[in-house]
Amino acid sequence: MNFSVALQILISGLNLGCIYAALGLGFFVVYSVTRVFNLAQGEFVMLGGMLTASFYTMGIPLIPSILLAVIITALAGAGLYRFIMYPARKSSGVTKVFLTVGFALAIEGIALRVWGWEFRSLPAFFNSPSIQLWEATIFGQTPWVIGVTLLMVIGLFFFFGRTIQGKALRACADEPLGARMMGISIERMALFSFILAAGLGAVVGALITPLTMTSYSVGWPLTIKGVLAAFVGGITRAEGVILGGLVFGMIEAITAGLIPGGYHNAIAPGILILVLLFRRHGLLVTAGRE
Amino acid sequence: MLVGVKALKEIPRKVTSANLQSLAIALSAIVLLTIPLGAGPYPITVMVDMGFYTIITMGIILLMGFAGQISLGHAAFFGCGAYASGVLTTQYHLSPWLALFLAAIFTGGIATIIGRFMFRLRGLILAGVTLALNLVFFHLVSSLVGLTGGAMGMMNIPPLSLGGFTSQNLLFNYYLVWIIAILLLVFSLNLANSRAGRALRSMNVHAGGSEDAAQVLGIDIMKYKVWAFVLSAVYASIAGSIYAHYTRIIEPGTFFVPLSALVVIMAILGGMASPWGAFLGAGLIIGLRELLRESMPVLVGGVTGSYELIAYGIILVVALLFLPQGLISIVHKAVPKKRAIVNES
Repeated sequence: MNFSVALQILISGLNLGCIYAALGLGFFVVYSVTRVFNLAQGEFVMLGGMLTASFYTMGIPLIPSILLAVIITALAGAGLYRFIMYPARKSSGVTKVFLTVGFALAIEGIALRVWGWEFRSLPAFFNSPSIQLWEATIFGQTPWVIGVTLLMVIGLFFFFGRTIQGKALRACADEPLGARMMGISIERMALFSFILAAGLGAVVGALITPLTMTSYSVGWPLTIKGVLAAFVGGITRAEGVILGGLVFGMIEAITAGLIPGGYHNAIAPGILILVLLFRRHGLLVTAGRE
Repeated sequence: MLVGVKALKEIPRKVTSANLQSLAIALSAIVLLTIPLGAGPYPITVMVDMGFYTIITMGIILLMGFAGQISLGHAAFFGCGAYASGVLTTQYHLSPWLALFLAAIFTGGIATIIGRFMFRLRGLILAGVTLALNLVFFHLVSSLVGLTGGAMGMMNIPPLSLGGFTSQNLLFNYYLVWIIAILLLVFSLNLANSRAGRALRSMNVHAGGSEDAAQVLGIDIMKYKVWAFVLSAVYASIAGSIYAHYTRIIEPGTFFVPLSALVVIMAILGGMASPWGAFLGAGLIIGLRELLRESMPVLVGGVTGSYELIAYGIILVVALLFLPQGLISIVHKAVPKKRAIVNES
């Protein structure tokens, strides 16, 4: 294998890895605060992409389009918590998973009603041109994907690690009773986590639309990839989720480079399932710790 | 207050009294077998669809209601049966009946291997893995172009035939699907009241059982979990094979997560306390689907298919919040329960 092919694989692996890490982080935000396994996360990503694409084609500039999409999707996230998860907050984890599945199907149906069957796309952000680097091609959108994911990661680490609000969020998950005694409203924090996850999802949706196109039905594969990335890395820590995403992306890029014909789409998640079977707590967490 | 999927909680020790049960089976068999005499082709087409869903949902009820394990990937097993049947008949020119049989064995074998490893995991990660398996299956059949026709789908699958009738005949399909559904119902009911059924319920956390306690009593929980998983996969595979020979065209998009979610919704709506729940859930949801397909585009316009997705979502949420034991719980309350003495101790 020559250098330019290897470089191409590395770049596309990094690109995919950032996408999967970002998908996993949206899932992680809700899970780490509420212990809810949110299978509607991919629908937020779908909504973000579809809304941005429709606003953009209406003639609204890119940044306001994305902002509008993020706001609307965040409202959907708030609705999911307030009208479905909040009334069922005392239910078991299994019930909550199915509730998010119900919400996901409804959102998919609404998207189909509003936008129909057609695929939609966006040009690369600000029409960034492709870059040639030692015979490897970097698509114009790739630097945006990597850059924005990096910003999201830094923002989340700062938020969870350094701000009172972020620490309060973490406290809700670690010790709900203690958090409540400290005067933290667990319900408000849970609501906030759903809004944050939906907003992050919408940004990811806008980011990937120039690369992959989008339609009403893209939500489920995105949800599944996010879940896999999060669990393979270790859902208990943000670093784990990011690692999981990057590993997933690299495996997919390498298998795509070695085996042509779309098999990488099946092989990469297959490998991740195998990893999960043998390291059920994820790559980052040492065995025996939950 | 909702504590747990209550649907799973109230699994009666003996499903209902044996006499009532046989009466119900006989009655529904007579009704199902006589319906086509007075119905046109459209209702029969809908009923055939309902039959496929009933069979898969019965499998889901065995897995979720009895063994207490979640699967959000059963569309893959439905597809596995359909594609195995399709490949065996179009590429290897086997008889469709033999293909149906071999497809069920093949799917069961795959489910055994997967289950053996998968049930090392518990709870929600397991749900995530079943979802991921559905994704793997979808991409695998889309990529194996030479074998499955890829994303374009597989065409010209030969029909099943028996005594001069083929599954191009709508009534033949109707009777085939529903006779198999009733046979599987009888099998499931017997299973529920057997040693294996009691073992499964004893380890079902959602039904007040405990995996650890069951294990202490000497029940090989791994064996029973895998076993329930394999049975439910075989149910789905049988439905898939009949479906493939009936529609004669299959494409990967059919066998994805929305279908997996739909059969779970049917199980939850119908109620997981008894295999009868599958009949209620599938019947009601497919009935509603047809109603929406017929009326909504006329009334308010829009794409066919969108309203039913919204309705599935709403039904699932409403059922979980307000009718967590499913419709079967209403039936169980109405029917005077004459419990068998054997299982009461």
